[in-house]
Order: sequence, then C-alpha cells, then structure tokens
Amino acid sequence: MRRLGAVVAALAVALLLLVAGAPAASAHVLPTSTVQLDVHESDIDAAVAIPLADLESASGIVLADESQASVDANAAAITAYLLAHFAPTSDDGSAWAVTVGALTVTQAGDTVTTGLYAQLTTTFVLTPPAGDQRRSFDLGYDIVVDREVTHVVLVTVRSDWAGGDLGGAREIGTIRLDTVTDTVPSLHVDLGDASLWSGFAGMVTLGVQHIQQGTDHQLFLLTLLLPAPLVARGRRWASVAPVKTAVRRIASITLAFTVGHSITLALGAMGLPVPAGLIEVLIAASILVAAVHALRPIFAGREVLIAGLFGLVHGLAFSETLRELDLTGVRLALSLLGFNLGIEAMQLAVVALVLPPLIVLSRTRTRRYSVLRAMAAVATAVAAVGWLVARIGFANPVATMADAIGVLSIPVVAGLWLAALGAALGVMLSRRRAERVGASAPPSRASVAHEQPRREGEPACRDAPAQNRGRHPTGDARADQSARDGTNGERPHRVPHHRAEHGEQHGRQNVGDDENHVLQGVGAVQHRLGAEQQQGDQQNARSGAEVAVVQGDAGTRGADGGSAEPGAAALLPA
Amino acid sequence: MSKTTSPLTAATLSRRTLLAGIPAAALVLAGCSANAGTTSTTATATTGATATPSATASGAAAAGSVAALAQAFQSTLSSDQQSTLLQQYSLANAKLWSNLPQGLLSGGMGGAGGPGGGTGARIGLSLGDLDDAQLAAFDTLLAAATGSGAGEGYDEIQQHLNADDYLAANGGGSTYGRANFYVAFLGTPADTGTWELQFGGHHLAVANTYVDGTLAGATPSFRGIEPNAAFDENGRTNQPLAVKEAAFTALLAGLSADQLATAKLSDVYSDLELGPGNDWAFPATRQGVQVSTFTDAQKQLALAAIAGYVDDLADADAQAVLARYQGELDDTFIAYSGTTALTQRNDYVRIDGPSVWIEFSMQNGIVLSGNHPHSVWRDRTTDYGGTQS
Repeated sequence: MRRLGAVVAALAVALLLLVAGAPAASAHVLPTSTVQLDVHESDIDAAVAIPLADLESASGIVLADESQASVDANAAAITAYLLAHFAPTSDDGSAWAVTVGALTVTQAGDTVTTGLYAQLTTTFVLTPPAGDQRRSFDLGYDIVVDREVTHVVLVTVRSDWAGGDLGGAREIGTIRLDTVTDTVPSLHVDLGDASLWSGFAGMVTLGVQHIQQGTDHQLFLLTLLLPAPLVARGRRWASVAPVKTAVRRIASITLAFTVGHSITLALGAMGLPVPAGLIEVLIAASILVAAVHALRPIFAGREVLIAGLFGLVHGLAFSETLRELDLTGVRLALSLLGFNLGIEAMQLAVVALVLPPLIVLSRTRTRRYSVLRAMAAVATAVAAVGWLVARIGFANPVATMADAIGVLSIPVVAGLWLAALGAALGVMLSRRRAERVGASAPPSRASVAHEQPRREGEPACRDAPAQNRGRHPTGDARADQSARDGTNGERPHRVPHHRAEHGEQHGRQNVGDDENHVLQGVGAVQHRLGAEQQQGDQQNARSGAEVAVVQGDAGTRGADGGSAEPGAAALLPA
Repeated sequence: MSKTTSPLTAATLSRRTLLAGIPAAALVLAGCSANAGTTSTTATATTGATATPSATASGAAAAGSVAALAQAFQSTLSSDQQSTLLQQYSLANAKLWSNLPQGLLSGGMGGAGGPGGGTGARIGLSLGDLDDAQLAAFDTLLAAATGSGAGEGYDEIQQHLNADDYLAANGGGSTYGRANFYVAFLGTPADTGTWELQFGGHHLAVANTYVDGTLAGATPSFRGIEPNAAFDENGRTNQPLAVKEAAFTALLAGLSADQLATAKLSDVYSDLELGPGNDWAFPATRQGVQVSTFTDAQKQLALAAIAGYVDDLADADAQAVLARYQGELDDTFIAYSGTTALTQRNDYVRIDGPSVWIEFSMQNGIVLSGNHPHSVWRDRTTDYGGTQS
C-alpha cells in the first residue's frame, strides 16, 4: 500500500508539474542502470532496470523505436545479450544458473536531472549451485557497462529476509569502468550473517515502519479514538466520560482493531486473494467514517465492532507487504508473528503518545477539546476524501499532501503534551490561588448536595472525598448560568454515562432511575482526580476540607476559562 | 574580438537598463550609502567605485600580473563579498567544478551516482552579485588570465556566457544565464605561494593554478556548449566551440582509413570518461593510433587540435604549454568512437599523451533540440597545479 501511495504521490506531483508548466527537458545527469536484489531462501531475484538507449548503444541491437513492440520483436537478441553479461559465481568459482523474465518497457527519470527516458525492466532469477549458502558471491554483471564507458550500475538489496534487511534499499555498490585499468571490476556481494532470528527481528522492524509510515492506518485508529473520552447524547458528543471508561474504551477499540487486522493479515499472507485496489479504497473510506463519527456520533457504543470490522480491511493491506516477500513455512510463521508484533508495538506507541494528552485536554479544556476534536476530524475527513478520490483513480493534491504529513509528527505530539501540561498546570495554579482565597470558607454539607442546585457562594460538599463538591470562592458565572438553565433550578446533569456507553438502550425516560448511579460515577472520578491532584500538590491535599476547596476551584476555572473541572464538565451541556 | 568595449560589462549594462527603475537596489547591493540621486543607467556603473572594502588584498604582486589584477578585483568588493570570494586552497575546493548549472548542483542532484555531475556546488561569488565596476575589474582579470585569440580564451568565454544567456531566454529559465557563473580565489593571489583562479558555470570550468607567480596548471578545463550551432545573442553571432570542433574534425578527416581503423575505440562514449569528479584516474594504457606514425601534415593537425585548448590560456602561458605538448607529440595517441563527423550522439574523440588529455563527446540536446558537446582538457601531471591530495 505504501507503493500505491508512492504511485499516487508521483502521479499527483506529475500533474502539478504539468499544471505549473515546468520546462519540458533539462536532462543533465546520465541515466543509470539499477539492480535490486530480493534474497530468498533458495535463490535471488534481481530486478533490473536499464535505460533503453544505452542498451541499444552497448548491445548494438537496433530498435525501430523505444516501444514495447520493438523490444518484443527483438526479444531473443536482447535476452541473449542480457544473459551473456550476467553470470554470478560463488566464491569457489562455480557458476550460478541465471534465467531472465519478461522484458518490459517503462518510462523513468525526471525532468530536472536525467530527463524522461525509456528503460527496459526485467527480473532475473539467480540460483546458486546446490549447497552454496549464496550469501557471498561475485555478481558478474556488466550489462551496458562492458561497452559504455560512462555508464553506472547501482546495486542494492531490496529485501533479505534472513539477513533481517527489509528496508528496501541497502546499497551494495556500483559497477562502472575503472578508468585507470580500463576494466569493469566485478562487484562482490557479501550479504553478511543470516538467521531465523534476524529474519524475525527484521519483520518486527518492518511492522513498526509500516505503521510509522502508514499515515492512513494511524489516522484511522487515532480518529476512532478521538471521541473515546466523550459520551454521546443523541447526535452529539455531549460530555466527558470517566477516565476509567475512556481508558477501557480506548483499550477495547485498539484491541478490536488489532484482532481484526491480525486475522486478515494471517489469511492474506497465507494466500487469501486480496483485491488490493478495493482494499485501499475501503481504508480511505474507513478513515472518513471514523472522522464523521468523531464529529457526530454515528455508531456510538459500537466503536469496538467498527474497529474490528475495519481492522479486517486494514489487515488485508498489511498482508500485501508479506506477500511481496514470497515466504513459506517457518519463515512465513515467524514473519507473521514478527510483523504483527511490530505493528502492535508501534500502534501502542502511537496511542500511548497521543491519547493521554487528549484525555487530559478533554477533561480540563472541554470546550477547546471540542474545537480540537472538530478540527482534527474535519482535517482527517478532508484527507480521507482526498485518498478516496485518489484511490478510485483521480490523483489530487489533497492526497499528496496527506501522504506527506505523518500523523505522529514530533511537533504535533509535543504540542499536544504541552497543551495538556499547560492545562494541568493552569488547573493547579488556580487551585493554589483558590486555596488562598478559600482557605477560610466554611466546609459544608455532605454529598447529597449533588442532587441540589448549586448556588453562588453555597458550600458544596466536604466530608466524603468521593463525593465532594467544591464551592466557588470567586464566583462561577457559567456554572450558575447552567444551573439556572436546568429545570426546577437543578443543574442539567442529565447525562447518564453508563447508559450512553451501552448504546442508549434505556431511552431518555430512564434518566431519573440512572441519576444516582451516574452521580456516583462522577463522584468516583472526582475522587480519583482529587487524589491525583493531591499527588501533584501535596501541600494542598492534607485534609478533606482542602480537597473540597481544591475541587471547587477546578470547577471555577472551568467556568471562567471556558473549560471545566471533570465533575462539572460531565454535568454541563456540551 | 574587442577587449576595449568589454562585452561582459556591456551585456550586463543592457540588462541593467531593464532594471533602471530600481537603481537603489544596485546601490544597496554595492554596499554604499545610498546617494539616491541616480537618474540614468550609467549611474549604476559608478556605484562600484564608491564601495569601500574593509579588507585589502595581501601579498605583493607585480604590476599587471594576474595576481595583481586579482587583487584589484578583490579591492572593489565589499568585505562580505571578499569573504565569499576568498576560499582555502585545497583539492576539495578545487574539485568543485561541473558541467551542470549551479541550480542542479545545489540540491545535491549532481552527485546522484551517475556521471556528468561533479562533487558539489560551486563556491565563490556569482557574477550576478557584482555591480558594473566590479564586473569591469573581473573582466580585466579574466582577460589577463586567458588567451587573446579570436574564438579562444577570453573571446570564447564571452561567447560562452552569451550562450547561457541564450538558453535562459529560450526555455532554460533562471537556472541558466551568466548570473549563474561563479568566481573564487582558492588561496591568496600574490607573487608567492599557491592560489587558483577558479571560474565556471554551466559547461565551463577555468582552473588556473599559480605557484609563486607562475602558471603551474590550467586544468581540469571544461568546455561544453549548448547551443552548438551559431546563434545571435548580445549583439553578435556566437559559436563558442567552433575553433576546437573544426580542429578535431580536420584531424580525423586527415587520417587514412588504416589509421582510423587503429584509432577506433570499441567502447561507447555517451559522455566524457574523465568528467567532473573523475580526478587523477587517467588510463594506464593509451588507446588509438600513435602520432609518431603520422605524416608531418597530420602531426600539424594533431597539434592544432591540442592548441584549440591550450590557446585558451594567456598567450605567453599557451606558448610554454604547447611547446611541452609538442615535445611529447610522438608519444601521443588519437582515438575516436562513433562517427568521425563528431556531430552525432556518442561521437567521441580523444587525445591522450604523456601529459595532455583532451576528450570531446557529442550528446543529445538538453534545453534545445540540437546535439551538444562536452569536452575536457586535463593534464596527467599538472591537473590542479599537480595537487593530488
């Protein structure tokens, strides 16, 4: 899928260049030949690209033009020439068997350096004599360079499973004329040590890289997790879920995605036919669906199911990478395990890096989190539409840009953590300020106050930390406004969290039944948060009264600053 | 040719005419306090004279010598310009030349594994950053360091700069044009010590190394050109490599069929064997037909082809170098590949002697449609003034 991304990006760039009216030809750097080795268990594939004009000059074969038809018409002569100039030998001198595949003409180069040119591509299969360990040999390649003095051949290892090298472009060396001796020295290839372990480790690395570079996979999961700290009410993300609920939800969504893609990764790698184009389209669609859901809940409570289902789709895309490596048996099993472990590790890292600040922000800067969530969701939706259109077959700059930006960019993550830390610090500072102002405020009634409208200056709760409400020493306009907006003077805390989590199956008429339950849940959250705050500010947390003040101040801040202390946030309409 | 009117300056003046609306910009560039009463294009020509360099060239130099003129040029520059112009003398810096325009070297594209690149972007001052007085001083320096013959040396370089202006105006864009040519002093110009006058840009490399006031080497010297056919630019008809190409064609045309058969190389040359970056890598064995087998007339043709490059040097220097090559002529080899017309892609000719190494390669057009040549003159002992490390 990365390859598809590259193709899409290349098409988009080409389109942009055409639009921009770049000069047609400014070729200065001579085109080179490339040899890419795929080291398999019993043989080596060599994918070769040769500029057609140089092939003609060096071989003396005259083509009518640089078309596929011309190459086909001269296939026998070209094949004979190629095989005469590619003869690998083991270090003991024994010759390898060489076969050559189909001859294909493709366009290559770029307008700035080499110019656009036709090249011949084909894949040789190099088979060492029986018993040879095939990791140290002379490549014996002098196609074109044997006669074309200025030609250069770049040799790389594209994949070497047992060497743990799946990075795609390990440079082995160049083949070119040595001008002093007027000879072309044969390139000696030493692939180094090989083992099942390094193969396995290489697959883990590949899995990590796959997620690291797979902006679309990251974006799907992160976008799905974006509203995880929230509770849906009807068609809106209404309020903040308890931390425990949020964490549990994040964990189960991530797990479901993992289970889903693990299943299809295995099936795909073992040979289940994968309609690659369709899968890429579906992946783009999955991101779009997740982005819409992050804006307005469309499958609230069924996130786990959705994550699992789309996980199946993403897994099929992952399996493409394994299929390209053409593995069997033990290597395939180790690869599946290693690749999947790498994917999971990177996925967990992404979640661990991005979600904690999101949870903090969702609780300390509720309204700003709404804005952040909306902006992220819209941006993601735009990227998803760009990808969708591109993968259907219409390259566009949006997709190109989306490919170019990594989700897990350091500035973004750092910005999130800084914002979260700033928010936490803000809460802490105002808490201290409130402590000075509110130290003399009389601690008051117990937790039943939760059921009561909280009024200006009225002490809330103090005795049981789990249920404490703070008072508002400096006034709480919005909370008060909210309170006044509520029916019968009650605070509008009508969001039963656990019900939302269970798909609202109870219906709104059950609000009253759930109320106590809900409020206890909120109180529990407050308690936990209170405990965290104590840890962060031990001086302030030595007595229940102080905790009460602390929490009350958090509520104040929430009202003042357009964000809310967790308990209050849960009770405020979003 | 017309040294008195200084085509280098004249061309710039004509371009400045277009910029007459913003003479203040030139004043700022020149680093002088803006005496903004300038109203005509000629005013910009005087601005350089008011520039006050904060550093002066060090080291004694005989009046009229290349070193003295180099110091004179340096003294017209601002201190910032001087620090850009003056570079350390080292092989690493000396190797910073290429056939490619600067724009393709800066982004690291030139070293993309293939030949025809070089080792990195050029260093030094761009001609585009010089005002007219500074350009005039540079022009005087260049004229003293290069040959005076028509179509050679200084005159050829003027035509060469015209060619790049032509490319810029005919599809090449801002990557081309004389503003993309660079001058650097490696080391300090003086009558003692080693320094190199390095000047070049697209298809051009001048590398004059002076040791204790004497020219110790004038190579690697690169000359390529596009367009290769005659063209009009900057008020004259130009064909910068005409003298060199005519000499090569006459040399090959003067050989017998047997000699040509011996001279013919089996390899294909799509570019130069010892282009930029391929330093001190001369073939151990010379190929082709040996000049000792030539008639006197043929030997004169061979010497004329060599002189096509040697005459790019200041006249006295050229005489000395050509005498050295003439003494080695019998041990010199002529070789070619492709056709003897030297007009088709992959046509190639080489002169390889005990000291001299000249190769010429015809290639596809780049900006324009006609074929264009690359050529390089090297010396097996005095490349980079003999500096090998």
